[in-house]
Amino acid sequence: MAEPILRVDNLCCGFHTEDGYIRVVDGVSFECEAGKTLGLVGESGCGKTVSALAVMGLLPQPAGVVEEGRILFRGEDLASTSHETMRVVRGQKIGMIFQEPMTALNPVHRVGKQLFEALRLYGSGRDQDEPAVAGGAALGRRNRRGRRLYESRSEKDELTARAVEQLEQVGIPDPVRRLREYPHQLSGGMRQRVMIAMALAGQPDILIADEPTTALDVTVQAQILDLLRELQQARGMTMIFITHDLGVVAEFCDEVLVMYAGRIAERAPVGQLFKMPRHPYTRGLIESLPRMDTPSRTPLNTIEGVVPKLTEMPAGCRFSNRCAYADERCGREVPVLESCAQPGAVGEPRDPKRSGEAQAAEPRDPKRSGEAEAAEPRDLKRSGEGEAAEPRAVRHEVACHHWQRLAA
Amino acid sequence: MSAPLLETHESHTVSEHGQTPAPRANAPLLEVRNLTKFFPVRAGVFLRKVGDVHAVDDVSFTLDRGETLGLVGESGCGKSTVGKTILNLLRPTAGQVLFEGRDLGTLSHAEWRAMRRDIQIVFQDPMESLNARHTVGQILEEPFVIHKLGTPEARNVWARDLLERVGLPRSAVSRFPHEFSGGQRQRIGIARAIALRPKLIICDEAVSALDVSVRAQIINLLLELQRDMELALLFIAHDLAVVRHISNEVAVMYLGRIVERAPSRDIYERPSHPYTQALVSAIPLPDPDRDRDRIVLEGDVPSPISPPTGCRFHTRCTYALEVCEAKTPEWEPVSERQQVACHRWRELR
Repeated sequence: MAEPILRVDNLCCGFHTEDGYIRVVDGVSFECEAGKTLGLVGESGCGKTVSALAVMGLLPQPAGVVEEGRILFRGEDLASTSHETMRVVRGQKIGMIFQEPMTALNPVHRVGKQLFEALRLYGSGRDQDEPAVAGGAALGRRNRRGRRLYESRSEKDELTARAVEQLEQVGIPDPVRRLREYPHQLSGGMRQRVMIAMALAGQPDILIADEPTTALDVTVQAQILDLLRELQQARGMTMIFITHDLGVVAEFCDEVLVMYAGRIAERAPVGQLFKMPRHPYTRGLIESLPRMDTPSRTPLNTIEGVVPKLTEMPAGCRFSNRCAYADERCGREVPVLESCAQPGAVGEPRDPKRSGEAQAAEPRDPKRSGEAEAAEPRDLKRSGEGEAAEPRAVRHEVACHHWQRLAA
Repeated sequence: MSAPLLETHESHTVSEHGQTPAPRANAPLLEVRNLTKFFPVRAGVFLRKVGDVHAVDDVSFTLDRGETLGLVGESGCGKSTVGKTILNLLRPTAGQVLFEGRDLGTLSHAEWRAMRRDIQIVFQDPMESLNARHTVGQILEEPFVIHKLGTPEARNVWARDLLERVGLPRSAVSRFPHEFSGGQRQRIGIARAIALRPKLIICDEAVSALDVSVRAQIINLLLELQRDMELALLFIAHDLAVVRHISNEVAVMYLGRIVERAPSRDIYERPSHPYTQALVSAIPLPDPDRDRDRIVLEGDVPSPISPPTGCRFHTRCTYALEVCEAKTPEWEPVSERQQVACHRWRELR
């Protein structure tokens, strides 16, 4: 396995509120493999968006706090880096698109102006040799000084040409006219395409898509998912896809993290997740979906109860108060992510090249989601793995005391 | 028909709370005939009418007691307008809505008031449809107050009964809507809708804003209430998988018109209209191993202000011929209960 492009280690973040500090994300760790799509799934309030915002350094200030944990992008810790570096990382290394393009786009500016801004900020492509920090400072100054969108006629023409190119790339017909229009004149699907064009203007290595199709109709959703897939393949982009829709996950992601109440419940390649969900929560989620191919008007399986309030979380497993398998230990002891892959199981059913050979899953460090110090030795081990570049084993992990009972 | 309805309304007492007159045996519970709703588009200094938004155009269907009809389509297709027009929250431009054989367009204000006991609605966002300054008890007692039913003590008991019925604690009467989660609020919305023991509930995207696990709970609740109360549901939503699960029959709308109507099983197994086929194929299935031929529609839905002539889907349909542009397709039966409005459905099977 190649060195992950992004690694998040034991991320804990939260918000200062009127009722005091509330931790929203509690010890989340994951890696993104270059060129792959990692899905972040969970219900509202489970911390999936907050994790992504923390990666982007976009937690609302001053309420939002990254308490501890590391966010390693190509080995550089974004959690402790300067604002200047983050300015470069955002957009040019990691881009992000949001659920509701109407709120993300500025309604009083034409599409063209907003796109020019992005294009100008990111310059004419990235200079790979330039160190990130210096580039950031330079860009920041230029941006603060120059209030005009362009200095000269020729620059305008150049920007227009590039903007048109960007819009064509995301499949917007008649891009010259669209540049002159305001966001409200575009349909929801078109707006999302504009958002994608803006996010890609800086040619990021990672694209974080936060519920990018949730506000769209299914047929438009299919268009946007196709577009994202094409762009990802053409650019070799890594994606983090945040959604609550398990259908979209199944069709779009390579690997999935299921989150519940700020913690990771299960991590699995997408095929494994749906075939053999190991966490009672994951299983409950999958079973509670109305499906197109099951008899209609039959009661659906449900997960009883509601997600507890962040201030009233059970001490042990946060799912314990809704779980049919829970016992006294679940209420007391926090389960850690442990490997539950079957020896010899092979991942990635979609990639026939890789599915040839199998490798037994490596037993994971049991302290994984526990303490920060667990990170160090694991780093070394991981980079050793990277050099070997062996066919992947299934990495299926679950944070549940009783997953074996479920598996049986 | 009007007399007994009004009579019961007036003679309503505590003991017979919820009793409504027997339906006329021959008429379907709800019949919508050629329902049309245009919204004027105005422009210029004098707000001259420059056109119409063809929100609902010549929509007809029937719904029997205790049955569920799913109305599915993408945003802007007019499905919510159908629901609001049935309830007379919007005046239809043309067409009729018959409830138990009675034309709702001819009712007086007072008659409508009585009629609303039988037809209720549940909206998508319970936070917006529940008064944030009222306690849950006040919210649930209000239907009884409006219809002058019961004593204050009795109403309070009924409100508690209703909460229990929808799976909330009886003590919730003294709390406010903001103290509840989204799913619990939708339960309150449903409790209010069933308070007067209606015969028909219009669910306008009632589960669309809910999380997966909560959505399943609410769907189960609706199915259970429907069975126990012989409720008819007009279930309006954009999510075909949800609609299919809860409905006996599904009607697919595109740009103001119904293009296909079929039992819920057939809508998935053998959709006949090219739009239905595209809609079904676009639903992401929670099954990563399944390879499907996805039909991805090009472009966007055309403007409802000047909808395409003939079949409204012809501008995006891969099978469109000249006839599709020239002539509005007639309803044709595919099977006994499945109907489609497409010139070419036979060739496409």
